[in-house]
Amino acid sequence: MKLAVISCIHGNLEALNAVLSDIDQHKADQIYCLGDLVGYGPHPNAVVEMIRSLDIPTCQGCWDEDIVEGLNACECSYPSILAENRGRAAHEWTNAAIHPEVREYLSTLPLTIRESNLCFVHGSPNSQHEYLLPSMDGFAALERVLSTEADVLFCGHTHVPYVRDLNEGTISVRVTQGGDGKTDRQFTMPLKRIINAGSVGEPRHGRPNATYVLYDTETTQVTLREVPYDYQRTCAAIIEKGLPPIFAWRLAQGLEFAERADDPSHVCQR
Amino acid sequence: MINSYWAICSGIEGNLAAYEAVLASIKQQSDTISDLYILGDFLGLQGNNRAVIERIQSPKVGELTPQICLGWWEEQCLNLHGLRGSLDAPELVAKVGTDGAKLLWESIDWELVQWLRTLHFGFHELDCLLIHGSTVSYADELTLDTPAIQLCDRLIRADANNLFCGRSGLVFECWVEPKQLQSQITTLDGPQTLHEQGKSPRRIVGVGNVGRTKGQGNYVLYNPATDTVQFKTVCY
Repeated sequence: MKLAVISCIHGNLEALNAVLSDIDQHKADQIYCLGDLVGYGPHPNAVVEMIRSLDIPTCQGCWDEDIVEGLNACECSYPSILAENRGRAAHEWTNAAIHPEVREYLSTLPLTIRESNLCFVHGSPNSQHEYLLPSMDGFAALERVLSTEADVLFCGHTHVPYVRDLNEGTISVRVTQGGDGKTDRQFTMPLKRIINAGSVGEPRHGRPNATYVLYDTETTQVTLREVPYDYQRTCAAIIEKGLPPIFAWRLAQGLEFAERADDPSHVCQR
Repeated sequence: MINSYWAICSGIEGNLAAYEAVLASIKQQSDTISDLYILGDFLGLQGNNRAVIERIQSPKVGELTPQICLGWWEEQCLNLHGLRGSLDAPELVAKVGTDGAKLLWESIDWELVQWLRTLHFGFHELDCLLIHGSTVSYADELTLDTPAIQLCDRLIRADANNLFCGRSGLVFECWVEPKQLQSQITTLDGPQTLHEQGKSPRRIVGVGNVGRTKGQGNYVLYNPATDTVQFKTVCY
């Protein structure tokens, strides 16, 4: 079975349409979405309507959560006041633009989807706000996969796609006091995999193209897809609708521009 | 100083007699103990919370001033008073029911709640993290039955070689060694260099509890110079 996994569409309908066409061409049997349907981009309602009309199983992302619950995450979301002010402006614009039924739909989204040996989340199994960056300590990354009891963990949130294979993990635990005498135990862990789907609508890999992944459940082959589209139309709509122009600039560059969290593994205390 | 120890305890749970017994034990070794840490859960439902707090706040002449961080019970108290996210304290109610929640509410007045707010989440000292649960939460209960990968993760998050914790109330010392892991990352630019990882052993110490078991309490002595741990039991 061929799966297409998309994430972080962020109200970018142009990018979503281009990715859906690409998925069609690759004849995927099933699409999963890892959330962040809204925020930053100019077409949040249309994006949600598209996802709903295609009946795509979708996790709730951190931006979706903010639209449902309000901006009550702790300060971990932004690395600076400047970034926070921009993010807040985007949230307020989206919050005002969103239709009631769209908000209701976002509130129904699950945090996690399980399918066979696959697990789908937005950020990490701990939180929609946690970044599983490729630079994360390997054992910590392995813990995130093992906590789901799946073999493959699909995530998004970082906006940069990657595949990480974690193999031949071995941990020894020596109890020197408090147990039944001194004991040594050794644990070996089978191959686990993290697949980050990147971002459809707000890529940060250095180019403006949309990204997503294809996954073959039979062969376990992963294909990272990069899809060109007319990003300038989205940029124009961002400016036209009064969103902060920096988002148009950032979209055109495919750059993060100071939005990196200082402590990516921090677990947000809402 | 080679012979300088930290005394570390947790889980007084309102049991003033048990805390007095620990203080008496520490006093007997006062020449060698430089610091006293209380890793939360000095509140509980079985004893006199107000008396315990007053004793903690006002050490006698010659006693160490304790360094205190918040525990699960204190967090529940802050929840009850609307100072945390879970206003109805569902964890507390699940554990002790509404009657228990009412008892906790009544045991602490607003002035003491304000004092609770000033306490730390944990302490980083040298290469040690001293905390009630873990950096994940107050409620994170680490024991010898916790999966090895989870212990390993908590040490990585702690960013310390020694993690002293009290949530479980159990006494234990275990070394966790992440021996080997191969990590292969592929990006849009293709496969990156295979990374092989291993780390030195790091330690988790369960400091036991002072007041949970009637007539007997535990605490820990840690010598930073020799990196050794001693478990102490006091009877009262």
